[in-house]
Amino acid sequence: MGATQIIFWILSIVAVFSAIMVITRKNPVYSVLYLIITFFAISGHYVLMNAQFLAIVNIIVYAGAILVLFLFVLMLMNLNKESEPKKNKFMLWASAFAGGLLLYVLLAAVHTAHIENVKGIHVGNIGLVSELGKALFTTYVVPFEITSILFLSAMVGAVVIGKKD
Amino acid sequence: MYLLDALSTPAQYLPIAIQFAFGVLFVAGMIAISHFLGPKRNTSDKLDTFESGIEQIGNARQPMAIKYFLVAILFVLFDVEVIFFYPYALNFKSLGWEGFAAVCMFVTFFFAGFFYIYKKGALKWED
Amino acid sequence: MPINYYIFLAIILFCIGVTGVLTRRNAIIIFMCIELMLNSVNLLLVAFSKMHHARALAAGAANTTAGIEAQLFVFFIMVVAAAEVAVGLAIIVMMYRNTHSVDINFLNRLKN
Repeated sequence: MGATQIIFWILSIVAVFSAIMVITRKNPVYSVLYLIITFFAISGHYVLMNAQFLAIVNIIVYAGAILVLFLFVLMLMNLNKESEPKKNKFMLWASAFAGGLLLYVLLAAVHTAHIENVKGIHVGNIGLVSELGKALFTTYVVPFEITSILFLSAMVGAVVIGKKD
Repeated sequence: MYLLDALSTPAQYLPIAIQFAFGVLFVAGMIAISHFLGPKRNTSDKLDTFESGIEQIGNARQPMAIKYFLVAILFVLFDVEVIFFYPYALNFKSLGWEGFAAVCMFVTFFFAGFFYIYKKGALKWED
Repeated sequence: MPINYYIFLAIILFCIGVTGVLTRRNAIIIFMCIELMLNSVNLLLVAFSKMHHARALAAGAANTTAGIEAQLFVFFIMVVAAAEVAVGLAIIVMMYRNTHSVDINFLNRLKN
């Protein structure tokens, strides 16, 4: 087993374990912290696949901005344990069973599919910042501009919804 | 550019991984050591929030005002704007005026959004 | 690593996200589980992008940029997710201000 495989297994186990912790913790603050660990593990996978720009963006945008915003909202709303909503046991087990069933169906479908084993998934320069930048600002310049319009509308939406009065 | 070329394989991220592991282990180790070595004398006075004898009133976790939250949301949006500048900075020379025009248009839209936010008074700290 | 392992990992993370959406009633946790599902799909897209690239390299095309579209796609997914979170959390905060709860079952009064 090479170093790549060992790192892959460590990162996968960390990602899956903390993802399970996200949905089982009662306190929402712990859920956010475990989700940050999951996103760091996924960033590690991106580095392993030589997609370095996405690894950095994942850390800056998700772990650095979005989850801190979640944490901020939780602090803002003062969610103590007594305000955690209760749910009836039967519904809980039924929905957990439904999720498990979906997992089983998807795994079975992929397991029987014929997937070609491609060597060399960890090499290649397309994930570097400069390579992605070349494509982003030449071929994909129109989606780039549309993103700015999307953000303009997101700003207007956030201000209209969030501003008091 | 050779600095970035040097960081083009996953194996060259090993120093960062070691630094990361060292940071986590150092913090965890320090907390564990202080937990084991420190003396514990838990009396009701020591576990009180204020030791100086003032009666405590209410919960420490007061809900904050909405306006702080709006500033945090707007921070996220402008944080993502900065992400787009890293790939542009690396290709600044080769993209030329065309790329510069594209980025100027992008920034103009964000600036229009900022102007709207400013005019609406969403960044005003005092009411 | 073969591509299968990445597919399995993405499926497991996606199903954990689905289970979280179904089992939890806190609106913020549900939102976080949606982010988890988005990230698992991103992981799968990057893995397929690298597979596509490796196949193009093996076919003898040096300096190819095959597969770069998927990575830009992931980048745009992340960027759109940030905009979505901004508006979504604003809605959740407004819901909290009106109902003093983030329990999504309060919203079933919209039914009638």
